[in-house]
Amino acid sequence: MSQRQLTFHIFRYNPEEPDAKPRTQSYVLPEEPGMTLFIALNKIREEQDPTLKFDFVCRAGICGSCGMLINGKPTLACKTLTKDLPDRISLMPLPVFQLLGDLSVDTGTWFRHVSLRTEAWVHTEKRFDPMAEEERMSNDTALAIYEAERCIECGCCIGGCATANIKPGFIGAAGVNRVARFMVDPRDERSDQQYFDVVGSEDGIFGCIGLMACDDNCPIGIPLQGQLAYVRRKMAVAGWKR
Amino acid sequence: MQLQRALTPGNKTDFLVEAAQTVSGLLLVGFLWTHMLFVASILLGIQAFDALAHFMERFRLLDLAVIFIILTVATHVGAVLRRIPGRWQEQKIVWKHAAIIRHPDTWSWLFQAVTGSAMLLLIIIHVFVVVYVGIDATLSADRVHSWMLGFYIVLLFLAEYHASVGLYRTLVKWGFVKRHSLKRVLTVITVCTIGLGLLSLWAFYSLGG
Amino acid sequence: MSRYDHFMTDVIIVGAGLAGERAAVEAASHGLRVILLSLVPPRRSHSSAAQGGMQASLGNSAMGKGDNPDIHFADTVKGSDWGCDQDVARLFAETAPIAVRQMSYWGVPWNRVVPGTRLYDGKEIQEDPAKEGLITARNFGGTAKWRTCYTADGTGHTLLYTMDSVVLKMGIPVHDRTEVLSLIHDGKRCLGVVARCLRTGKLRAYTAKATVIATGGYGRLYGASTNAVINEGSGMFVALETGVVPLGNMEAVQFHPTGIVPSWILITEGARGDGGYLLDKNLHRFMPDYEPNKKELASRDVVSRRIMQHIRSGYGVESPYGAHVWLDIRHLGARHINTNLREIATICRNFAGIDPVHDLIPVRPTQHYSMGGIRTNIDGMAYGLEGLFALGEAACWDMHGFNRLGGNSLAETVVAGMIVGGKIAACAKEASYHVSSALIEEQVRFQEDRIQALIEGRHGRENVYQLRREMEQTLSEHVGIFRSEEPLQKAVAKLHELHQRSLRVGLRSDGRGANPELAAALRITGMIRLAYCIAAGALARQESRGSHYREDFPKRDDVNWLKRTLAYWPVGADQPSLAYEPVKITELPPGDRGYGEASAHSVTAKG
Repeated sequence: MSQRQLTFHIFRYNPEEPDAKPRTQSYVLPEEPGMTLFIALNKIREEQDPTLKFDFVCRAGICGSCGMLINGKPTLACKTLTKDLPDRISLMPLPVFQLLGDLSVDTGTWFRHVSLRTEAWVHTEKRFDPMAEEERMSNDTALAIYEAERCIECGCCIGGCATANIKPGFIGAAGVNRVARFMVDPRDERSDQQYFDVVGSEDGIFGCIGLMACDDNCPIGIPLQGQLAYVRRKMAVAGWKR
Repeated sequence: MQLQRALTPGNKTDFLVEAAQTVSGLLLVGFLWTHMLFVASILLGIQAFDALAHFMERFRLLDLAVIFIILTVATHVGAVLRRIPGRWQEQKIVWKHAAIIRHPDTWSWLFQAVTGSAMLLLIIIHVFVVVYVGIDATLSADRVHSWMLGFYIVLLFLAEYHASVGLYRTLVKWGFVKRHSLKRVLTVITVCTIGLGLLSLWAFYSLGG
Repeated sequence: MSRYDHFMTDVIIVGAGLAGERAAVEAASHGLRVILLSLVPPRRSHSSAAQGGMQASLGNSAMGKGDNPDIHFADTVKGSDWGCDQDVARLFAETAPIAVRQMSYWGVPWNRVVPGTRLYDGKEIQEDPAKEGLITARNFGGTAKWRTCYTADGTGHTLLYTMDSVVLKMGIPVHDRTEVLSLIHDGKRCLGVVARCLRTGKLRAYTAKATVIATGGYGRLYGASTNAVINEGSGMFVALETGVVPLGNMEAVQFHPTGIVPSWILITEGARGDGGYLLDKNLHRFMPDYEPNKKELASRDVVSRRIMQHIRSGYGVESPYGAHVWLDIRHLGARHINTNLREIATICRNFAGIDPVHDLIPVRPTQHYSMGGIRTNIDGMAYGLEGLFALGEAACWDMHGFNRLGGNSLAETVVAGMIVGGKIAACAKEASYHVSSALIEEQVRFQEDRIQALIEGRHGRENVYQLRREMEQTLSEHVGIFRSEEPLQKAVAKLHELHQRSLRVGLRSDGRGANPELAAALRITGMIRLAYCIAAGALARQESRGSHYREDFPKRDDVNWLKRTLAYWPVGADQPSLAYEPVKITELPPGDRGYGEASAHSVTAKG
């Protein structure tokens, strides 16, 4: 099998040069067996262009750092194998988030804001007793919490969402899913009305117009359609009773 | 809690508008499909069609339907207007976004918005014609022999597409369905209703002008 | 506008992984002002990648019945090959159950006991109905009881997200995308750090009454490591570079038995804990031949060596990336694999293109954990500088000695965070604030000058990435699982040369703003120094203990080497200087580990 030459068209933007227009730069790289975009981008940086900015941390699809638009699709670069891509590969940073340069975006700050707005922590009046046995919980409940908790906050659902692209306040699928995680957790003592205050609006669940790009693009396969619908129904009941 | 929230407790406007959009949308889909079945009565012959029309006129069902359609459409339009990107910049972002991410359901939403806007104008004309002229097989036959044939074909496609995508989106948003099988079922229904509509048009057309 | 921003606070914590955040929460709950610095957003920290679990002797599961801190303590000491400080291990084992329950209180969805019977490795396990709904545990290597609490395949993820939610709730500020370049100190007391913003490239000074390093390990010194790319040991080398703070036991490097070939991503011990087998090229399950009792679940150092030994005996599976063995979890069934071991399934599918429900997984021992680190006392305070603390993988608190048990690292982060966090708070409350601005100015100027020199290429034009590759290769080739005199000498000589060359690095790019090449260049010398400490310590230690295995000295030598290496790097020196201190033995005198020993010295030195 002959080796392919891959051409990467990479979005370039340097915040140090605010006047310079964003542009696309091309790099050619011979493909190697088992090559992922993690390997390819590092090779480009080390061998061709040391200024190229991108983010990787775990390079194993766990940390959520490397979300980007790969031939338009929002997904994780580390787990994208070049053999699944055509010869010409376009790479762009995720939209919505603050651009830090080239393919690097500030997902961390965005998610922190959303976590603060949705008060994404367990609300309880109980105090921790170091000597007491833990509160019991059924294993099924634990697994249901984990199903939502799995979100790695990579931002692919946000970048792929047209609504999030034009509405800066919209918390998107990741935000709603985060709230769903606390809704199913019996340790969180918030009432449905309190949750309604957090997500029962246009910036929350009722801002979702059902494009389902989130559901189609979630790199770790969280059933976001189901999570969104769950919160929507729960909030509809809460809204009705209000 | 912020002051503005404290001063306006229990703000559920966003929910109510969303509910209005959903309910009016569902009603319109129901109406559309019933409407298409009624129109298809022409396939059973002129008598059947006219009998149905006269029945509706006798019991003032037609007037009711017109009032219903005006109110529901107005509600639906009022509710969904907030979804249409208002500013030019937003329009540009949304279209560019759809072009970049190449995501079918995002495109279908854009078409939904476009077909919806176009339909609004066509529906007004359509309702005006029906109210002004009444329902009668021969008159309808006359109309499809004019430029109105094109009008009906366009309206048929727009309405069926919009209803199908709208129903899909609603069911997806509220859950209980498997997206991909739902999509298949709705595609079949839409193709059938469009086929039925085209057959009805052909039936009117073959009645002669 | 000043050249740099200056932040003053009570406690500055470098690293926002589990250890750093837990310590931050503890210090903040004592009413102190805390700032967390992190290379990446906190939830991206490498803690999130720990899939397996957290050890704590709750004794809720049927196979953990009768467990208590004494047994956990004994397992930890045996695992460490008597290299740990036993007072620390005792404190740790006593606190771990409280830490697990507290994490549960904060929101971690620990898997729970489900009553009923199930099959495990041919045996029937009957869970106690009275324990239904309590936190359960899975089996991990080197433990007498099932003690590893877990949340499906994402224990580290849920722990970190829960911890971070508490940080958010308490309003503790996190300055992410910030890299620490040096410690501000006067030779006696640590007063803060000089850091570089990775968004803008600007320098910042942080001064505090207590400075805490929780930056994790240095896995990326090795080419093949399971670690995240940010694990470059920066916290360790900034401490080392003070000249007065020693690093403890740097030669103690853990190799995880099952890194997937060839991307070296970790396949968690949970795979073997849940009943996975290791097979050779003849599909023969070879571990029972070597370790009839613990089989695949002997401690990590032992399993890693057994695999390499078996490969050396000619039973490895040949591949373009070197010989490997197989991990077989097919018999666990699709349902179990796709829920409890989902992460493994995903990794196999995405990174190796195989399906573990039907296929064998190619694995080989891979660098995984650094037992060594900034040497601290039992309170977490570093040797050499007052007001400097370290915890987590960055520290040598020393509860791991020469081999860490699976599930003890997550446990250490949270337990140390609790305990050391309290000590940090006490220290910061007692300390008064007196930082001379001249000292800060001097430190910042020094870093500015370094950056300028790199940009101008004032000292030379060495390529940072080239140096890095050579360092990675040197460690991987010569300071791996099997070590001996000659390769270690080669490694030391090579690292000596690389260290000199690293002082002559020059950038190829303009180095403006948050330039990634500049960031790499600022790190390279420190990283090579760490590598040097590892190689030098390994060369000096003429015995085999835990993960440190010398083919020329295959036995543990408690007469001469029951001691801890302390590596210093005097300011301006071109090599580390080694010192030693005794290991604290309080309860359990050195003895047999109960696995691995009998045949450890029968390894034939070929390969």
